[in-house]
Amino acid sequence: MISEQREKKEKLHRGAFYYPRIYRMIITQDIKSKMHYRADFYISTIGMLATNIAGFISFWLIFQSFPSINGWTYYEMLFLYAFSLLALTPVQLFFDNNWALRFNVYSGDFVKYCFRPLNLFFYYISETIDIKGAGQLVFGAGTLVYAWHHLGLEVSVRSMALLIVALTSASLVMIAMMNAAAATCFWVINSGTVMVFLFRFKDYAKYPMTIYNIGFQIVFSILIPIGFIAYYPSLIYLRAQDVSILTYLSPVIAVLFYYGSYKLWIRGAMKYSGTGS
Amino acid sequence: MGSVIELENITKVFRVLNRHAGLKGTFTDLFSRDYKNLVAVDHVSMSIEEGEMVGYLGPNGAGKSTTIKIMTGILEPTEGKLLVNGRVPYANRTLNAQNIGVVFGQRSQLWWSLPVIESFRILKEMYCIPDKVYKNNMEMFDELVGVSELYNKPVRQMSLGQRTLCDILAAFLHDPNVVFLDEPTIGLDVSMKSKIRELISVLNREKKTTVVLTTHDMGDVEALCRRIMIIDHGKLIYDNNIQQLKQFFGSYRTLKILPAGNVSFSEADLAKYGRQLLVLCPETRNVVFGSDEEWLTVLVPEDEISLIKVLEHMQTLIPFRDVRIEEITTESVIRKIYEGTSDAKPTLEAGHGE
Amino acid sequence: MENRTKKLPFRRYFSITRAGILEMAMFRSSRVLDFVGNMVYMIVVYFLWRAIYASTHTVSVNGMTFKQTLIYLTLAGAIFSTLNNYLVWKMGRDIQSGQISLFFTKPMDFFLREFFYSLGNVATQLVLTFIPTFLVVSILSGWSLPMGVNLLIFLPAIAMSLVISFSIDFMVGTVCLYSQSIWGINMMKEVIILLLSGATIPLAFFPEAFRNVLMFLPFQAIYNVPLMVLVSNTYTWIDYARALGVQAFWMVILVACARLFFRSSSRVITVNGG
Repeated sequence: MISEQREKKEKLHRGAFYYPRIYRMIITQDIKSKMHYRADFYISTIGMLATNIAGFISFWLIFQSFPSINGWTYYEMLFLYAFSLLALTPVQLFFDNNWALRFNVYSGDFVKYCFRPLNLFFYYISETIDIKGAGQLVFGAGTLVYAWHHLGLEVSVRSMALLIVALTSASLVMIAMMNAAAATCFWVINSGTVMVFLFRFKDYAKYPMTIYNIGFQIVFSILIPIGFIAYYPSLIYLRAQDVSILTYLSPVIAVLFYYGSYKLWIRGAMKYSGTGS
Repeated sequence: MGSVIELENITKVFRVLNRHAGLKGTFTDLFSRDYKNLVAVDHVSMSIEEGEMVGYLGPNGAGKSTTIKIMTGILEPTEGKLLVNGRVPYANRTLNAQNIGVVFGQRSQLWWSLPVIESFRILKEMYCIPDKVYKNNMEMFDELVGVSELYNKPVRQMSLGQRTLCDILAAFLHDPNVVFLDEPTIGLDVSMKSKIRELISVLNREKKTTVVLTTHDMGDVEALCRRIMIIDHGKLIYDNNIQQLKQFFGSYRTLKILPAGNVSFSEADLAKYGRQLLVLCPETRNVVFGSDEEWLTVLVPEDEISLIKVLEHMQTLIPFRDVRIEEITTESVIRKIYEGTSDAKPTLEAGHGE
Repeated sequence: MENRTKKLPFRRYFSITRAGILEMAMFRSSRVLDFVGNMVYMIVVYFLWRAIYASTHTVSVNGMTFKQTLIYLTLAGAIFSTLNNYLVWKMGRDIQSGQISLFFTKPMDFFLREFFYSLGNVATQLVLTFIPTFLVVSILSGWSLPMGVNLLIFLPAIAMSLVISFSIDFMVGTVCLYSQSIWGINMMKEVIILLLSGATIPLAFFPEAFRNVLMFLPFQAIYNVPLMVLVSNTYTWIDYARALGVQAFWMVILVACARLFFRSSSRVITVNGG
């Protein structure tokens, strides 16, 4: 019957722009359908801004009574805060569907994503864009510019290019954390708690790692790598003399974390789709 | 004509953790190596030709969806060889997906909040469907079921029937070689069922698409499939044409009677009804009595005697409060196959011999 | 029938409380994670404020020592986990799915029904989260927390915190009748309460003018009042009475507001058919 077993990987030839084209199409549709609920968009954006402003006020209040935090000045702390907000924007904007993953998995609806001729993770994540994250982008950028200006940091092609690299790596770390947290739903039934638990840590990313003792510095660099969301990348601008080896390694580490979380996600999805539903 | 789907001794074994109850149990499970093996599919072989429409039947948990998942490439078999469109599906999930279409019962694969036409446009890009093919297919769909007025309606506002219709069209949109339909008519009313059966039948004929249909509805099978495969406990127990199968379930239907007052259904009582009925009407030789909770069930072979006749006679025997008529189910067909194994053995092992 | 309902109104509601307790206790690993989360929060707060206090040379800032600030914030975090009960999400979902109209067919008051359910959640969290945290804080602070009549006063105080916080949540949940954006509404509520109640930064650190305004708002009655009852060494009977009085005042006002708002809004449900 089956004479030869062809197990070798074959490739589909769809051109380099296949994925960007699909992404643009799905996202455009998603935005269009969200535009029907414009009031919701405004309320969500205000909610988002309220959180950001509250963070800002907290710093301001602390600095009303204290001159610095562990030698970090008001504007330096604002820089870290703004940097963390910007680094947290992509996960909010583009990876929000991870929050719905557990509902899809527990209801068995997830299997429908498995029959399409494209990468499973890509297809699942592309489904929604969370436009309220745009408010955070604007607030974060504004605060960063404000802090940048007050700190008298240099504005050059080099510093801007570095900023983009640093922000991208920082974002990848956060995305990786949430991918991994979301993927737990393929194995355990209360992954919602795991996601909330890990998501709360993002709020601690805005503090300099030096306030922690060595044990927690290790935890926050390896286990729950929030140090890479703002502190390590920001050192280049704020403490050029103290730049840690981890700062230079952060793009590599970010990619590794991201890749690992992606593999975990896919592995869970394939394991699930066999048994689930 | 070549084989589109070929399975050779496909076996799938799941390793399942024996779970323990309670907090302590949860903790032990974390480190437990207490696994049991669950054979979901057991040495299944089959060969499906291009353009065939095959009914793949079996009770829940028999291994139907595991087989389908193996054929769609989202599951790797533990043992055995398979080719779909000449490729190993699990080694090439995306490539395989490009050449198949899948409809999974009530789970719509279309974008919930989008008008259907937008979903179709996304699918056009996703499957790289050439403009001409897309245009022709859309024209054909409209001709077949007149769906163009539905196109601007978001999927979430559609009725189940409309949604299923659109899901089936979407599965055929990219001219796949094989389409897997899992319970396509579940929960639909009679007119929608026949509309959908008609659509599937035309698409299969016009496009020479191979269709693998899993269902519980014998009506679907009778209307659509010439070849039937039945799986039970992971084993393929029947693979032959529908005429052969009809010998088993033929034109059986079940008459269910709810007697007035308290009536017991002991073996003796059931036998008594049989004798009394036989006196009234000698053609009821092969009528089988049974019970289902408080209902009396009467299995009627309709090529020997009509159900209405049996009902008339029963009325004279016992007073009753309510009556139901049930089509035969896959489960009872399987039961009949097992029962008939002794006297109809050849048909079970015949394999696919047309 | 009428008579029976009048006689045992609370038995039924307590059975709902029981359901709330059982549901919380069912997800045991979630509770463990909650506790771990609070401990980590405590540690982060410790490091952060140690760094903050390291920058001054005075022992106490705005009348609060490092230790006091730490105790205050940790316990505030524990109260937050205790009172946090996803009511807004629940109501929002019930409203959007139309399930809410089902509750009107039941012979129970919706507000009370939800309250007693929350009570079950809160009671569980109080035992599983707040009390362990309180003990850990007491031990780590060298038993410097007062252990006397304040513990007794704290019970009615936290109970009233629950009613106040529940009433606010209930009002915010009712807003979901008018908007689909549960996330945005809930987010605004949470931010406002956490900041203005002194749960993130103790009220003592707020500029005086600002603080005077906050004292006239209900939010401080949720966190600040019970916390001060619990940790203050200097509270007299008059202070306790005043604290409970302030809470009682807000409780009455907010319960009335929540019920009135819901009653006038439920017309929206009956008109739209849920």
